[in-house]
Amino acid sequence: MGTRVLLVEDDERIRQALGLALADEGYDVVETATGEEALEVVDPDLDVVLLDLMLPGIDGIEVCSTLRSRGDLPIIIATARSDTADVIAGLEAGADDYVTKPLIAGELAARIKALLRRRRPAGAEEAPGSPELRLGDLVISPGRESVERAGQPLHLTHTEFRLLVELATARGDVVTREQLLQRVWGYDYFGDTRLLDVHVRRLRRKIEPDPDDPTLVLTVRGSGYRTGP
Amino acid sequence: MTDLRRRWESVSLRWRVALAFGVVTTAVAALLSVTTWQLASSYMLDQRERGATNQAVVDARLVADNLQRRSDELPTLLVGLAGRPETSVLLRRGGTWTTAGRETDVEDVPPALLSAAPARQRVEVDGVLVLAVAIPVTPDGDMFVRLASLTELDRTLRFLSGVLVIGTVVAGLLGTLLGWWTARRALQPLSELTDAAGRMAEGDLSARLPVRREADLAPLASRFNATADALEERVQRDARFAGDVSHELRTPLTTMINAVEVLRRRHGDLPETAGRAVDLLGADVQRFHRMVEDLLEISRGIQVPDGHDLAPVDLAVVVENVPEALVPGADVEVAHPAPLVMADRRRLDQVVANLCDNARHHGGGVVRLGVVRRDGQAVIEVDDAGPGVPADLRERVFERFTRGGRSGRNGAYSGGTGLGLALVAQHVHGLGGRVWVEDRPGGGARFVVALEEVSS
Repeated sequence: MGTRVLLVEDDERIRQALGLALADEGYDVVETATGEEALEVVDPDLDVVLLDLMLPGIDGIEVCSTLRSRGDLPIIIATARSDTADVIAGLEAGADDYVTKPLIAGELAARIKALLRRRRPAGAEEAPGSPELRLGDLVISPGRESVERAGQPLHLTHTEFRLLVELATARGDVVTREQLLQRVWGYDYFGDTRLLDVHVRRLRRKIEPDPDDPTLVLTVRGSGYRTGP
Repeated sequence: MTDLRRRWESVSLRWRVALAFGVVTTAVAALLSVTTWQLASSYMLDQRERGATNQAVVDARLVADNLQRRSDELPTLLVGLAGRPETSVLLRRGGTWTTAGRETDVEDVPPALLSAAPARQRVEVDGVLVLAVAIPVTPDGDMFVRLASLTELDRTLRFLSGVLVIGTVVAGLLGTLLGWWTARRALQPLSELTDAAGRMAEGDLSARLPVRREADLAPLASRFNATADALEERVQRDARFAGDVSHELRTPLTTMINAVEVLRRRHGDLPETAGRAVDLLGADVQRFHRMVEDLLEISRGIQVPDGHDLAPVDLAVVVENVPEALVPGADVEVAHPAPLVMADRRRLDQVVANLCDNARHHGGGVVRLGVVRRDGQAVIEVDDAGPGVPADLRERVFERFTRGGRSGRNGAYSGGTGLGLALVAQHVHGLGGRVWVEDRPGGGARFVVALEEVSS
């Protein structure tokens, strides 16, 4: 069975055209026109949600946070413009990536593929027995995709986890924004760094003892991030 | 006269007011000083003369008594009468002169004084101003003369005049200063207006005058601000219109792009003519898409001033991340250490990409991408080895829909939107930098983006 995509878009023409083109790319598309409908049809078989932020009724941000509170189903939000507060709000609400309109099936397919890609650390085979990483008092198991602090599991989304692993594998070396965007999101150009910044912020909220004074994920001014100390 | 007048008018109003204040205060102070001088000096001189005369009269009486009694104490008396060393007394007795006190030549006593005696006169003796009083002591022509020095009075008057002159000058200077300060305060609204109008002319439509309570100035400020509001709203409405149109175009565009994409994937199944039609349609839908995006971007730039997205950006990272496909075979040269600038990364990326795109389509491709320092600024250089940009087009290429000669006519490049370099200019200006095109050493064009460097 192909990848199942839930397409939430209120404009019928766009929904039809995009549904047609995504289906043509080999996706199994479920179309809905409203947020309410979307929340009803969500099922565990879905692989990714493509969510328009401008919806009648419950708006996209709310749908996004509701979906996120239910689990870590990957969410891509679609916004009219890349430089509005919408993008930040959507990402803060738990979206994994965003695209701007007009939506193009080919680009979407690339985004979805990057998002669903399992992480393969350089040189390491992905297996349940792959070596654990340590970061401060965190124990990261890339194979099981779990993070623990003193035996207590921390819940990260798939994307947050991949970001953390990329940083932790560098063992304190700087990982540039470009590298992170490329490795985690598959962006090879024009990576909007806010995507990364919001994810780092989300990650810090979950793993840092004090998110305002981070000690595990540090910003390197002008270039990227590294783990400390 | 007219020349003088023109020169006066070319002096700033502030200085004119200051100078006028200075002149008036100087004049008033001078008048007061002169009056004071007149009154004080004549009073003091009068006092001194009267005192000296009285003294001389008393002295003459003593001498006359002495002469009557024919005492031989006369020389002692004369020495006693001379008293202070700067005073001299002279006595003519039977045609011969006796002097006491300060050494004096009888020749110095003006004969007119002696003939007019009793009389007094100011004379200069050995360069010293003295008051000479001559009084006859006997009916047969014996004469007593007292020469009293006026040096001390002279010194006092000189000191007084010094004080008055200095006072006048200081008053003049203070007046000028006061005038300057007053004018500055009074003209403050005018310079604010100049400032605001200047900023507005440079494109800062948010420039406003502070609202003042003074009745004279409030209408000026509110009128100016209302005009500025109207202008700003109009510019924004125009920008919003362009933005709204582009925005509305995106819905049909989405349908078109995705439908064309489906058709393209099935290109092989289509008859040849239909396939070519799809290719044509696809290329233009692409171009339409880019144009809508660029238009949106341009109208967005006018509407929202940047600021919140600014972060330090390493220029090396920017040029090194330009995709190879956009700059095949180009040299990348980066100064070490690479300069940091405050920028919005997304826009900066777009600037570099658009310049590379431009070089690819009008200059045969980028031959060199450089990050250097020039005149204390961080500079990105995008070089091509094409025909270069003629001098008369160098400003115009950054305007919207200016087409390079090569693309428009022979259709060698019809994929451009005509907005790429305009966007570059808008973004660079938005970041507080400058962009221009110059000749590349060795032929071709060099597009230069100069931004303020920040310390790491």
